Amino acid sequence: MKPTHVRTGVVLGSLVALALASSATGQSPTKIWTSDVVADRQRLMKLNGASWADAQAKLKAGNVEAVAVNAETMALIATQIVALFPEGSLTDKSKAKPEIWQKWPEFEAAVKNYGVQAEKLRDVARSKDQAATEAVAKEFGRQACGTCHQPFRVPPPQQQQQQQQQTPPTR
Amino acid sequence: MLFRHVKAGVILGSVVAVAAIGCATARPTAIGSGDPVADRQRLMKNNGANWADIQNKVKAGNVEGVAVNAEALALHAQRITLLFPEGSLTEKSKAKPDIWQKWPEFQAAAKNLENRAGTLRDQAVAKDAAAVQTTVTTFGRDACGTCHTPFRVPPPQQQPAQPRS
Repeated sequence: MKPTHVRTGVVLGSLVALALASSATGQSPTKIWTSDVVADRQRLMKLNGASWADAQAKLKAGNVEAVAVNAETMALIATQIVALFPEGSLTDKSKAKPEIWQKWPEFEAAVKNYGVQAEKLRDVARSKDQAATEAVAKEFGRQACGTCHQPFRVPPPQQQQQQQQQTPPTR
Repeated sequence: MLFRHVKAGVILGSVVAVAAIGCATARPTAIGSGDPVADRQRLMKNNGANWADIQNKVKAGNVEGVAVNAEALALHAQRITLLFPEGSLTEKSKAKPDIWQKWPEFQAAAKNLENRAGTLRDQAVAKDAAAVQTTVTTFGRDACGTCHTPFRVPPPQQQPAQPRS
């Protein structure tokens, strides 16, 4: 009788431990963030937008080399995007399209492309070549942001876009 | 005897299960090169570059422009501890073994960077030039230094070409 009790206790204890562990770490794949994955990725993408706006402002001011830090920030952020779109994370507040999960390999490829484009912008900015950097920047909105936003994001209303970004992306 | 075996099995099984869950979720946001030293040096280099950009902007009177860099520091800070898995100490790394000996302190130091960067971001968003100036003045010591002094081997004198306040 007693060993049975002990065993039951151990089993129960383990189950509770497992449940706790999985609720603490299993639900959102990105433990470092908050429990709200939509808010997390919106925060991340806002920094992407702001970094891009800063890059454009610097380019306009002729400060080519300083664009590199923003481009590298974007490249580093790009490595986090996919992890912030777990299946079923589609709420009212999210602008994500369900296509993300229907065409997951394409979504992954679009994110990867974004990282590659950001690195390209970084490297050309480091070379201090104003014309070359401007050429990459000119295509960036379409080639980097658009490749993912067009198929996978509900377009924001016109007003919102202008409020969020002081320098609207060239598209 | 039988019960004891069953019990031991359950305990072992649970430990393995918990460990597996831990492994599966502990490194979700690695930068992905497979080399944690290269990854964290890349991240910290971008932190340094964002910090240099902050200083340049403050000097140029562009207080609001600091926000984007401060937010980058805050978000990067969340990834720091994940990029220091136990045993990731190579010749190329400037990390001190104290990181793993005093892990809670290391975690707190990384969190401190996140918090201070968040403060700087909010001050910049509010266009509070005086507050931004004050935070920037002490940032090297209070944000970077809190972690670098105890946990990083100081770089040789020539190397820190990055502007300091």
